[in-house]
Amino acid sequence: MLRRLCVVLLIFLGCHGTAGRPDGRTAQRIVSLLPSFTEILFAIGAGDRLVGRTTWCDYPPAALAVPSVGDGMPPNIEAVAARQPDLVVLYNSGPNVAAAQQLERIGIRTVLLDLNRLEDLGPATRTLGRLTGLEQRAESLAAAMDAFTSTNLHPPSPTSTVAFIVWDNPPITIGHGSYLDQLAALAGARNVFSDIAAPSAQVSLETIAARDPQWIAVLSDSGAMPAFAKRQEWRAVRAVREGHFLLLPGSLFGRPGPRSAEAVRELRARLDRTASR
Amino acid sequence: MKWTLLLVVAVLALVASVVLGPAAVPLSELLRSDIVWNLRAPRALLAFLVGGSLGVAGAALQALVRNPLADPFLLGLSGGAGLGAVLAIALHLSGPWALPIAAFIGALAALGLVYRLGLIGGAALDPRILLLGGVAIGAFAAAITTAIVSLADAAELRNAFLWLWGGLSAASWDSVLLVALYAPIPLAILVAASRPLDLLALGEEPARYLGADVEAVKRRVYLAASLLTAAAVAVSGVIGFVGLVVPHLARLTWGHRHRALLPAAFIGGGALLAIADTLARTVVAPRELPVGVVTALIGVPVFALLLRRWTIS
Repeated sequence: MLRRLCVVLLIFLGCHGTAGRPDGRTAQRIVSLLPSFTEILFAIGAGDRLVGRTTWCDYPPAALAVPSVGDGMPPNIEAVAARQPDLVVLYNSGPNVAAAQQLERIGIRTVLLDLNRLEDLGPATRTLGRLTGLEQRAESLAAAMDAFTSTNLHPPSPTSTVAFIVWDNPPITIGHGSYLDQLAALAGARNVFSDIAAPSAQVSLETIAARDPQWIAVLSDSGAMPAFAKRQEWRAVRAVREGHFLLLPGSLFGRPGPRSAEAVRELRARLDRTASR
Repeated sequence: MKWTLLLVVAVLALVASVVLGPAAVPLSELLRSDIVWNLRAPRALLAFLVGGSLGVAGAALQALVRNPLADPFLLGLSGGAGLGAVLAIALHLSGPWALPIAAFIGALAALGLVYRLGLIGGAALDPRILLLGGVAIGAFAAAITTAIVSLADAAELRNAFLWLWGGLSAASWDSVLLVALYAPIPLAILVAASRPLDLLALGEEPARYLGADVEAVKRRVYLAASLLTAAAVAVSGVIGFVGLVVPHLARLTWGHRHRALLPAAFIGGGALLAIADTLARTVVAPRELPVGVVTALIGVPVFALLLRRWTIS
C-alpha cells in the first residue's frame, strides 16, 4: 500500500532531463532516493557502497540494512548530507531538481535520472555503472533490460483486458504513458485506457463500466480488497461485481527495475491461473 | 415567465445529464441500460440536489453576514471536512462510507467551533465574528490536514486532496436517497425564515423594530445553511462557485425577496451543477474534468454578462 506512493510519484512528476555527468572519480558513498535505483545499484554490485536510501527502498532485503534518509519526497537535504555521500542519485522531477541544486551547492555530486518507462531502464543502469566504475556488470544488466524492453515492440496479442485503478473517487486510471501499461501489454493483457496518452488520468465511472475490463488491477501490498469494491456505484462495473480484482504488490509492480521481467511473469501467471479456473 | 424559463432549463439539464455521457448508449436502450440507470441517473439527481443546496445555503449566508462574498464554504466547513477525510484515511478507517461520514463529522466539528466563536461576545451571534471565526477555523483545520499529509506515510493521503476538490463520481442511489431525506429539513427551515431574512437585509436594528426575532433567526439560518453545506461536502467534496454565484444570479433576476430568491437559487444551483457535471464528463472524454473547474468556467462569464446588463440598465 505504501509503495503506491512511489508509483504516484512516477505518475505525477514525470519529466525529462539530464543524464549523469561522467567525471574521473567513481562513487564510493552513494545515497539512492528512489527504490528502483536502489535495486539497480544492488544488481550491478554497488549495494555495499550505499550509505542512504528512502523508506520505500525495501528490495533486496539487504537494502533494509542501509540507513534511511526519509521518504525522499522531497528529499531532506540535511539528512542526505549527514550521510556524507559522494554521489546522490535522484529521480528527475521538479522538486528533486531543486534538491539536487542544493546538494551541489554544498559540494555533493548528484545525478538526476529519468525512470518513467521500461526503455529508461537501460540508460539509467549504464549511467549508474559509469558513475560507480562497474561498467561491465551494468552493461550486461542494461543489455538484458533493453532486450526485454524491445519485446515490448511486439507484445503478445492480448488475451484479456484490464483497467488499473489508482484512486477511486474521483476514479484515476493508468494511461498509455505509464510503466504499468507496458507491464500489462507484455503480460498479454490490454489496458482498456491505453488510448489515453498521459501516464494517468481522471475518468468517469461510466467509461470504466462501458469499456468493461475483465480485470480491475489495484496496487496493494496488504492484499486486502479496496474499499470501493463494496461501493454501490462501482457495482456498475462488471469486473467489480464479479470480484475480478488483481491485487498487485506495489513493491514488485509499482516500479520499473531489474525485477520488471519478474513482474511480467507474475502478472501473466495470475492471469493464466484465473483464466483456467 | 422567468420561472417557466428556469424550470425548462432545469428539466433540460437533467435530461441532458441522463442522455449524454462518455459511453455511447443508444436512445432506444436508454431506459434499460445499467450505465444510465445506476450511474448517470443517480449522478444527475445528486448533482441537482447538491447544486441546489449550495445555492440556497449561499443565498442564506450572504443575507446573514450581509456580505456579497460569503460562500457556503467560507465558514470553515471545507477545512473541517478535509481534516475529517484525511484522518479517516490516515487512521485506515475502512468501509465504503468511512470517508463521507468522517468528512461530515469534520464539517460538523468546524461548524460547532465557529458557532461557539460567533457567540463569544454574549448571546448575540455576531456575523463579523462568524466570518472571521470561519476563516480562522478553516485555516487551522487546513494546517493540521497539511501536517498529517506531509508527515504520514500513506500514499492515499495525497489522493485525499483530489477528493477534496470536489466531484460527483461517488454518486449512487444510496447517496441520492440520503441527501433527498436529509436536505429538505434545513431547506424548509431556511425557506420558513424568508421574511426575517428580508428584514435582516435592512440591518439588525431596523429588523428588530419591524418585529423580527433577530437573534433566533440568525442562529437558525446559520445552523441550517451549515448543515446543508456539511451534507453537500460529505457526498461530493468542495464544489466551488455554485454557492457564491448562483445566489447573485438569482438576486439579479428575482430581486431580494427570499420567498422567491431561495427557490430560484435551489433550481438554478441544481441546473448549473447538473450542466457543469455533464460537461465535465463529456467534453474531454474518455477523461474527465474536475467539476469545480466547469462550474467556474460557466458561472463567471454568465455572471459578468448579467452584471453588465444590470449596471447598464
